[in-house]
Amino acid sequence: MSRPRSHQPSKDAVRRRSTASPAVPRRRVRWLCLIALLAVALAACGGEDPTAAEGASEEPAAGSEAPESAATGGEDLEGEPIRIGVSLPLTGDFSEPGKGVQNGYDTWATMVNEAGGLLDRPVEMIYRDDGSDPNRVISDYEQLITSEEVDMVLGPFSSRLVLAAADVAERNDMLFIEPAGAAPEIFEEGFENLFYAAPAVADTHYDYLFEYIMALPEDERPATVAYAVLDDPFAQGTAYGLKTQLEEAGFETVTDEVYPPDQTDFAAIAARVADSGAELFVGGTQFEDSVGLIRAFQELGYQPQMATFSTGPTLPQFSEAVGGASEGILSPVGYSASADLPGNAEFVAKYQELYDGEPGEDPANGYTAGQILAAAIEEVECADSSPECQQQLIDYIRGAEIETIVGPLSWDEAGRPQGAHMIQQWLDGRIEIVLPDTEVKTADLVYPKPEW
Amino acid sequence: MPSASLLLQGLALGILTGGVYALLASGLTLYFGVMRVVQIAHPAFLFLGAYLTYFLFTFLRVDPLLSILVTVPLFFVLGVAIQRLLLSRLRPDSFTMMSVLLTFAFALLIEGMLGVVATGSFRSVTVDYATRSFQLGTVRLPYDRLIGFAVAVATLMLLFAVLRYSRYGQALRATIQHREAARLVGIDTDRITAIGFGLGLATAAVGGAVLALITTFFPAAHWGWIARLMAIIVVGGLGSVSGAALAALMLGVIEALVLVTLDATWAALVFYAFLFLTLVFRPQGFFGGRLAERF
Repeated sequence: MSRPRSHQPSKDAVRRRSTASPAVPRRRVRWLCLIALLAVALAACGGEDPTAAEGASEEPAAGSEAPESAATGGEDLEGEPIRIGVSLPLTGDFSEPGKGVQNGYDTWATMVNEAGGLLDRPVEMIYRDDGSDPNRVISDYEQLITSEEVDMVLGPFSSRLVLAAADVAERNDMLFIEPAGAAPEIFEEGFENLFYAAPAVADTHYDYLFEYIMALPEDERPATVAYAVLDDPFAQGTAYGLKTQLEEAGFETVTDEVYPPDQTDFAAIAARVADSGAELFVGGTQFEDSVGLIRAFQELGYQPQMATFSTGPTLPQFSEAVGGASEGILSPVGYSASADLPGNAEFVAKYQELYDGEPGEDPANGYTAGQILAAAIEEVECADSSPECQQQLIDYIRGAEIETIVGPLSWDEAGRPQGAHMIQQWLDGRIEIVLPDTEVKTADLVYPKPEW
Repeated sequence: MPSASLLLQGLALGILTGGVYALLASGLTLYFGVMRVVQIAHPAFLFLGAYLTYFLFTFLRVDPLLSILVTVPLFFVLGVAIQRLLLSRLRPDSFTMMSVLLTFAFALLIEGMLGVVATGSFRSVTVDYATRSFQLGTVRLPYDRLIGFAVAVATLMLLFAVLRYSRYGQALRATIQHREAARLVGIDTDRITAIGFGLGLATAAVGGAVLALITTFFPAAHWGWIARLMAIIVVGGLGSVSGAALAALMLGVIEALVLVTLDATWAALVFYAFLFLTLVFRPQGFFGGRLAERF
């Protein structure tokens, strides 16, 4: 492609500029256009799809990766493997929890295969990396179902990607058990084959905390509430679930901040919250924003009596990330590694054998999704992608109560699990379950919280 | 309506953040000045600097500011090497597009490498003064941001002094103004260009250390910065170090004030709004004169 190079400045350029020699402005206009284009294009990348390209450089074969049957120990079993297709955000914004879910799936597959497989067939996980991009998650599942011809699919991480993927599964009449789509919207789309593999949907996560606050003597309750919420269906689902309840009960909302997913500077947002002087702070957060907010609060000397964050504090590395300021911070949580539930100890042991540290919520939910699928396959005794088999599996799960590591699960007609989230609190550098006040509780809730 | 103290707090934070923006964008103006290169990988190098700072801090307990002594020379040499071995070999007639592609490739390479070495986890450098602040009336100035601002100001002043008063700076400005004429009076323009590029990358090492101090980061974090830094250098006038510094300060303050009065979603728009307005009304930038006179 060769562009004719004329040294004749265009009239346009001359008219618009009088300062420079004619050759310079034309070139500069070209540069400016290029930069503007780049800025806009990259900004678009920055928000939703920061690593569409990372996938290509870091794991070039992620899309077409060889099945990971070796990693899950299925090679000793006879029989055609049950091939399970999953697209996960292994790179990009959600790469951290995405890998967590993958570890959960792999732990499940390994344990199933070590125990002789399902219907005497080994389980084989087939992963694709969607780079946290809702568009790629759609094409991933299309390909897994139509060209890869997998027998089963399991869901990706995060409400945003689940919403996109569930539609593909629905159109192809595939059962869709998902480990991480808790946002209220997901259950309002009329999906008939979707089941969420966790105890409760987002807007009910704080039910126990709300009950706790209401049980406090009136003069001890936090009078004012501030919210800072990520613009994300899950984060907003949790925080605004509590907000709705508190506002109905007469608590005053003094500020409600919403910030975009790529926000990295929390100083000014924190300044608004600090200025409101709210006694209860509710953060609808992922991980890095919870850390950023807490650091900014510390710098501004803001000390609420109670502070709770959606996710972030549920991850083991949270305390280190906030430099030990985690003391007394609350969070809703659907899983506890120390909970005395059937199969949980085995899962934790196997997970620790395969990976470092205790499993958090994300691996646990991946594992739970696998448990539900396994229970259905063994009960119905089929494991192929035919609509008949898939419908039988769906019908079974719809009516069943299935024993999992997050407790017994059952679902309503939209796939909402009928359990409740626990409330955890960081105490003495450890995560303790403080609500509900039943046998799952490992410590008493500390209120007001110590200063951070 | 936000209270006066909140507005003051926003203003103070805006100035401190704007100073850091100025440091982060300064490298871009240098590259553009010496080579007409839009360096897409500059933010990726910033985060590479941040990670190096993080590793030095975590494993060897080197203070983030001291780590500059290691990373700056390293980045300078790297910059000279990249310019000499790669950029200078691109064919002049396709230089514009190819240099963008090449630096884009660098961005991907760095991000992928960081992903492998450091995983996708969020990292932060937590020094013991990270959560304290200096109180001035009702306004609190966080120490980490004060330090970041001071480092930025010192670096920019040093950079400006070098460009303005040293013999190298004169040669560099001559190269920018008229490469052929500079060569005629005996300036080794190739060498000057390489050093200019190295200096640009060296600012990324300093910027990375400051970023590590004030924010959490992960390998893909650089994408969010490209557009912001590009907007700053366009508003400031391409290739002008002082113009970019003024634009950075201005945009930082406006962003913070929008944050405390409206919300974060509007604040994110500030950079694009100014980029757009600049291109429509004053494409040469608000603070730049003729390109040749910008240093």
